[in-house]
Amino acid sequence: MKTQPNLSDADTFYEQLLDVHANLDRDGSELLNARLILLLANQIGDGKVLAECLAAASKLN
Amino acid sequence: MAQTSKTPGPAFANVAFTNGYEFTQGSGYQLPEYPFVEPPDIQSGSVRRHAVVIVGGGITGLTLACSLAQLGVKAVLLDEDNTVGVKGASSRGICYTQKSLEIFDKLGIYERIARKGVQWSVGRTFAGKDEVYSFDLRQQSSFQLSTQPPFINIQQFYIEGFLVERIAELNRAAIEPIMDMRWQSRVVGFEQKEGFATLDVETPAGRYRMQADHVIDASGSHTPFHVWCGATLKAKKGDDRWCIADVRFSKRPPTERHTWIEAPFNDNRSVWQHLMADDVWRIDYQMAPNSDPAVVSSEAQVRERLRRQFGDDLQCEIVWVGPYAYRSQCADQLRIGSVFFMGDTAKVVSPFGARGGNTGVADADNLAWKLAAVIRGTAAPALLDSYHDERHEAAMQNVLVTNRTARFLRPADGMERVFRQAAISLARQHLFARSLINTGRMAVANTYTHSRICEPTGGQSVQNVAFAWGDGLTGTVNDLLKWAHNRLLVLVFGSLSPSAVGRLRQLAVTAPVRCVQVVGPDEPAQAKEHVRDPKGHLQGACHVFGHAWALLRHDGYLAATGEVVDGDLVQAIEKSLGL
Repeated sequence: MKTQPNLSDADTFYEQLLDVHANLDRDGSELLNARLILLLANQIGDGKVLAECLAAASKLN
Repeated sequence: MAQTSKTPGPAFANVAFTNGYEFTQGSGYQLPEYPFVEPPDIQSGSVRRHAVVIVGGGITGLTLACSLAQLGVKAVLLDEDNTVGVKGASSRGICYTQKSLEIFDKLGIYERIARKGVQWSVGRTFAGKDEVYSFDLRQQSSFQLSTQPPFINIQQFYIEGFLVERIAELNRAAIEPIMDMRWQSRVVGFEQKEGFATLDVETPAGRYRMQADHVIDASGSHTPFHVWCGATLKAKKGDDRWCIADVRFSKRPPTERHTWIEAPFNDNRSVWQHLMADDVWRIDYQMAPNSDPAVVSSEAQVRERLRRQFGDDLQCEIVWVGPYAYRSQCADQLRIGSVFFMGDTAKVVSPFGARGGNTGVADADNLAWKLAAVIRGTAAPALLDSYHDERHEAAMQNVLVTNRTARFLRPADGMERVFRQAAISLARQHLFARSLINTGRMAVANTYTHSRICEPTGGQSVQNVAFAWGDGLTGTVNDLLKWAHNRLLVLVFGSLSPSAVGRLRQLAVTAPVRCVQVVGPDEPAQAKEHVRDPKGHLQGACHVFGHAWALLRHDGYLAATGEVVDGDLVQAIEKSLGL
């Protein structure tokens, strides 16, 4: 799992992420996030990296 | 193998379809009945010791009985009923996968299954009104090497009946009966001491006592042996409820498997639709969590569901209806003293992926050759402990896989449901997301990764591929296994060095093995026992390349593979005999 900066343009990505949620209610946002996670997971592919990402996300509260 | 043309024993009448049905009584199928014969033990009053007693004449117990009979091992089978098929239970197998079909081929009943059963290759998965995706198994290559198809749909009781008839054939062909089939015989008492068990058996003619060196508990998910043996289990119960309807239509739907993850005609719950033998369709409806089985299986409700699915002009006969709930369960030890658990006494899984019955058949095939070798004295008694290593690993794997499917089909409310919705919506457009849609993962021949009798190079199943005998006729892996008659099979691929020829000759004399050289279409054969593998299918099925050897067991599993015929082969042979 990469923890060093890897996004080519972090601010643009963050803005785009907020924009796709802008007009959605909570249920719509949940579904979009779920789709996004599945799409991104397929970009990563590697099971070990995915497991590390899941663990890293669960550890933070 | 000799195929007899005359059907022995009580056979199936042409299936009679009743107009109505009795609630979970299976009255739509006319099943064969087998006579109770009073065992001599009752009159004599003496307690006889048997090498093997199989408890339960379901698909697992009968597969074991048939395998043992074929290997010439005497045993007794006790079944509390006088027929195959269902008495009160609801869910039964309808799909037999390649490994099971290969086992049935070895036992001599595959042709009958293929004639009676149904094969399909197109499956469609729907959510809501749309198809999410479809597949055609004929386009997939992984199953193509075997002489058996990826699977056949057929009602479980047919296979059980064919096994009973095959056992009768084997009994008649032997000098004296090998398999003692005792119907209407219920085990009501049990105790075991070092090395043997004592069983009390209740029959219509009275009670008697018998002893057994090996007791095989294939009596199903309600087994009394778990308590008698102090077996511990890991179990998980869910609230998912289903209703099965076996239906015959006047106007047939297409011969395709249709699966709805969310069926609009079933309150957006799942529905399965498959064709079986006799033109009967099995339709499984997922019901509301925790629903009352009696209500959801009432004829009025079933007819209403069918009308919503197939339209107002539907004309059909309801052959059989039953509700079911499932649980998953796995015994911690598949052997306790003299008792071996197999089929549903080893593990219980949800029906998804046909991993119940098929793995029971594989359990039986795994233990049969080991029992035969130990009883014959060609292997050490410790060989039997490998049954737990191998089939417990398979059981755990099958519990894991089926629980994942169950979770996809009955997601918890909240994020589990949201992720499923996300996966379904993505799958309509993107190929990758189809791999997330889990409507069942078909049973496979599980690989053994930590068996005490397999080398790390072994543990995989070998498909029943075809090759050419020395005289040019076609043979299969099963033919080789039957010819080896439970001796280990050493297949050596390619040309042999003079020292390898010498070692193999010596092995064939000193060890319970048969050695066969496998050569290409034009290569000269050096061994008398040789076969030709013109397309390399046999080599591919054995998972080896180039000059290599493969050590194959009677259950079609590799004990080990290697390159040079040397001490490693000798060591692998000893290991696979429990020495």
